[in-house]
Amino acid sequence: MKAYNLIKEIMKTLKNILPILIMSFGFIVYSQQTPAPLQKEVLTISGATAHIGNGKIIQNSIITFENGKIVAVADATTSKIALRGTIIDASEKHVYPGFIAPNTTLGLVEIDAVRPSRDLDELGQFIPNIRSLIAYNAESRVVESLRPNGVLIAQTTPRGGIISGTSSIVQLDAWNWEDAAIKVDDGIHLNWPESYVQGRWWLGESSAEKPNKKYQEELESITSFIVNSKTYGKSTPETINESYKAMQGLFRGEQKMFIHANGEKEMIDAVSILKNNGIDNLVLVGAYEAYKITDYLKQHDVPVLIQRVHTTPEGDDDDYDLPYKLAKLLVEEGVLVALQSSGQMSRMNTRNLPFYAGQVVGQGMDKEKALQLITENPAKILGIDNSYGTLEVGKSATLFISEGDALDMMSNQLIKAFIDGREISLETHQTELWKRYTNKYSNK
Amino acid sequence: MVKNGKIEKIGKNLASGNLLTIDATGKHLTTGIIDEHSHIAATSINEGGQNSSAEVTIEDVLDPEDINIYRNLAGGVTAIQILHGSANPIGGRSAIIKPRWGADAKGLLYKDAPKFIKFALGENVKQSNWQSYSRFPQTRMGVEQLYVNYFTRAKEYEVKKLSGKPYRYDLEMEVLVEILNKERFISCHSYVQSEINMLMKVAERFNFRINTFTHILEGYKVADKMREHGVGGSTFSDWWAYKYEVKDAIPHNASIMAAAGVTVAINSDDAEMSRRLNQEAAKSIKYGGMSEEEAWKMVTLNPAKLLHLDDKVGSIKVGKDADLVLWSDHPLSVYAIAEKTLIEGAVYFDIEKDKLQRAAIKKEKNKLIKLMRDDKDKGIKKKIPVKKQKKQFTCESL
Repeated sequence: MKAYNLIKEIMKTLKNILPILIMSFGFIVYSQQTPAPLQKEVLTISGATAHIGNGKIIQNSIITFENGKIVAVADATTSKIALRGTIIDASEKHVYPGFIAPNTTLGLVEIDAVRPSRDLDELGQFIPNIRSLIAYNAESRVVESLRPNGVLIAQTTPRGGIISGTSSIVQLDAWNWEDAAIKVDDGIHLNWPESYVQGRWWLGESSAEKPNKKYQEELESITSFIVNSKTYGKSTPETINESYKAMQGLFRGEQKMFIHANGEKEMIDAVSILKNNGIDNLVLVGAYEAYKITDYLKQHDVPVLIQRVHTTPEGDDDDYDLPYKLAKLLVEEGVLVALQSSGQMSRMNTRNLPFYAGQVVGQGMDKEKALQLITENPAKILGIDNSYGTLEVGKSATLFISEGDALDMMSNQLIKAFIDGREISLETHQTELWKRYTNKYSNK
Repeated sequence: MVKNGKIEKIGKNLASGNLLTIDATGKHLTTGIIDEHSHIAATSINEGGQNSSAEVTIEDVLDPEDINIYRNLAGGVTAIQILHGSANPIGGRSAIIKPRWGADAKGLLYKDAPKFIKFALGENVKQSNWQSYSRFPQTRMGVEQLYVNYFTRAKEYEVKKLSGKPYRYDLEMEVLVEILNKERFISCHSYVQSEINMLMKVAERFNFRINTFTHILEGYKVADKMREHGVGGSTFSDWWAYKYEVKDAIPHNASIMAAAGVTVAINSDDAEMSRRLNQEAAKSIKYGGMSEEEAWKMVTLNPAKLLHLDDKVGSIKVGKDADLVLWSDHPLSVYAIAEKTLIEGAVYFDIEKDKLQRAAIKKEKNKLIKLMRDDKDKGIKKKIPVKKQKKQFTCESL
C-alpha cells in the first residue's frame, strides 16, 4: 500500500512537471536552425541586379541553379533564355555570391570568457598537425548569426604558438563539421616573430617596444623546423613524427602557408626564408605595412589577407584612415587582397565583413572592386575559386538576395540565401529573441 | 549661419557682408555626434582597488594629447562622456568633454556640464572572469546589498552633516549624497535583466532614479520597466558573445527599447568604434527596422538628452552650439566620410588640411631620418630605438 502510494505520488508529480520539462527542453534546443535539405527543384532568380563578384555587374539578370550548381547566368535585356523551374522574382533587388571570411576562429569558441567553450589555442610551439576542423562547432550560435548578413563561407583557423596548426574551409549551414567542410586542411598557420617586442611591464620594465634580442634565434628555430620537416619527407623514417608529417602538403604545393606578420622586415624575412626552403604557396595575414613593399609582394606572387578594416592605426603619426584604405593601396599596386576580421571580438564581428568592404568604398574604391575583396579574391587566396566566390556557370549556387546594397548597413537586408543550392534559414538565436520580446510588448 | 559659436539662423541665402562662407553643395550637414560612453583621452580608467571609488574623477586624469581625440573629430564626434571603468559597483565620476584637439585638459572639459558617475553591474564587478575570490561582492546578490549599504551610509552621513554636529568630511559620501539629492546622475554599466531591474528598485527605495543604463544589452527584456522608471538606454549596436552575460545580447536591442518608449543612444566604449558611430546607428535600420530619423537621433539628440545637454547640443537649432559636421554622403551610410568638423563654430577637423599635415609629417620624418643617418655616418654613439606603445582603454582595462 505504501509503495503504491509512493508510485501514485511520483506519477502525480511527473504529470505536473512533464509539460514544464518538455517546454524547457524545447527552449534549450533552439541553439541552431535546422540545416536545409539538398536542392531538389530547379530555381531561377529573375530581374535582380547581379553582382557577379569578379568586378562585373548585370542590371537585369537571370540566374538559374540546379542540383546545387549555377547552370545559367544571363542578361535578360540582351539575351532571351527560357526561365526554368520555380521563378523567384527579384526585380529591384540584388544578388551576390556568398561572402567568404578568411582567417576566422568561428566554431572554435562560443563565448570568449567561458573557458570550457574555448578550443582555440593548443599547447606547443610547432604543432601543424593540430586540426581546427574537428573542433569546429557547426551548431554555434555565433556561426548562424553571420548568415543574415551574407557571410556564408569561412576559414576556421587555430591560434597560438609559432605554428598554430591547420585550418579548413567550411560552409555555414551544416549538421556537423564533416558536412560543413568544403576544403579540408587547406593551410598551415605560422605566427612570425616580431623584431620589436614590448617591455615586460609587469616586471617593472618600460612597456615601450625595443628590438627583440631573440629575433634571430627565433627565425633559426623556424628554419630548422622547416628543414627538418623537409628532410623527414624525403626519408623513410623509422618512427612517425606527426608534426613533420603534417608539413608535407606545403612542400608538395597542396597546402598554403599563412604567415601572420605585420612589419615590413618581418614579412620580407618570412617570404624569403620560406621560399628558400621550398614552401612556395604563401599568404600574408595582417600585413599592416604591406603597402610599403608591394613590388616585392608582386615579384614573389604573395597575396594578402589584410588587417581588419575597422581598427585604429598603429602609430600616432599614421594617417587616421590608414586601416580603412590599406586594401585599396594594395589593389592599386596589383596585389591580390582579401579582407578578414581577426582582432578584438573577431568571431561576432565577422558578420560585419560586408561593411568592411563598404568602408573601403568610402576611401574611393569602386563598389564592385570592393566586393571582390570578400568574394572572388578570398576564394582565390583560399583555393576554392573553382566552386565559390563568383556567380558563374558551373560554380556552386552559394548566393543570396538582398533588398538593397549589401555593402551598406542601411540596405543590407537578406531575403533569401542559398548554400550549394540549399535554401538556408535566415533565422537565428537573435532573431528568435527579437520576435519573442517584440511580441511581448505588442501583446500587452 | 553661425555666430559666436552658436547657430544664429537657419535658412536660404543668409550670406551677407563679412561672413566666411563654406560651400557645401552636394554635401550633407548634420549636428555633431555625441558618444555617451568612451574611454579615450585619459591616462587611466579604473580605480578598482575597492568596491566603491566615488571619490575619484576622470577629470583629474584627462590626456589632451591622446591622438584618439583627433581621430574622433575625423569621425564627426563633437561631445564625449569619458567614463570611469567597470571594475567596481560604484565607480568614479565622469568627465564630459568636447574634443578640442590642441586644447589642454581644462580646455577639453564641457563648461558647466551636469555631474555624472559611473556604476557597474555583473561579471566585471563580481570579478568573475579573473582569479579573484576575496573582494565583496562575488554575486549579483551581493551587488544589491552593496548599494543598499552605501546609500544607507550616505543618508546617515547627510543627517549628521545637516545636524550641525561635528562630522568628518568624506568625499566619497559627499558624492553619494549628491546622487540621493538628484544633483548627480548615474550611468550604469549593465547587461542582464535581473540586475537592471534590481538597480531600478534600489534607486526607487532611496527615492531617486537611475539616469542611464549603459551597454544594457538585455534592456529589450525589461524595456517596459525601464520606461516606467524613466531611465534611458545607451547600448552597443551589435556586440555579443564575449562573456556569458552577453549570450542573449541582440542587435535588435536598440529598436525594441526605442519602440517601448525608452530614450536610446548608441555608444562606443572603444576608440575604434567611436570614430564611426554613424555606421553603428545605421545598423538599427538593418536589424530592427528603425527609421533613418530615429537611428540618427541615437548618436545625436538622444545621447544629448541622456547627458542633460539637449538644450545646448544634439540638433541643428537656432541658439544651440554650432557643433557641425559636413559629410561626403548620407551620414548613416557606410560610404560617408566626415570632411569638416566644427565645435562651437571653429573648424577642428578639415580633410583638406589633414592632407597638408600628412605631407608635413612625412617631410619631417624624412628629415629626422636623414639627420640620424648623418650622425651614424659620423660615428656618433647610437641609441637603441624605442617604439612607444599607447595603451587603449575599454571598460575592463585595469
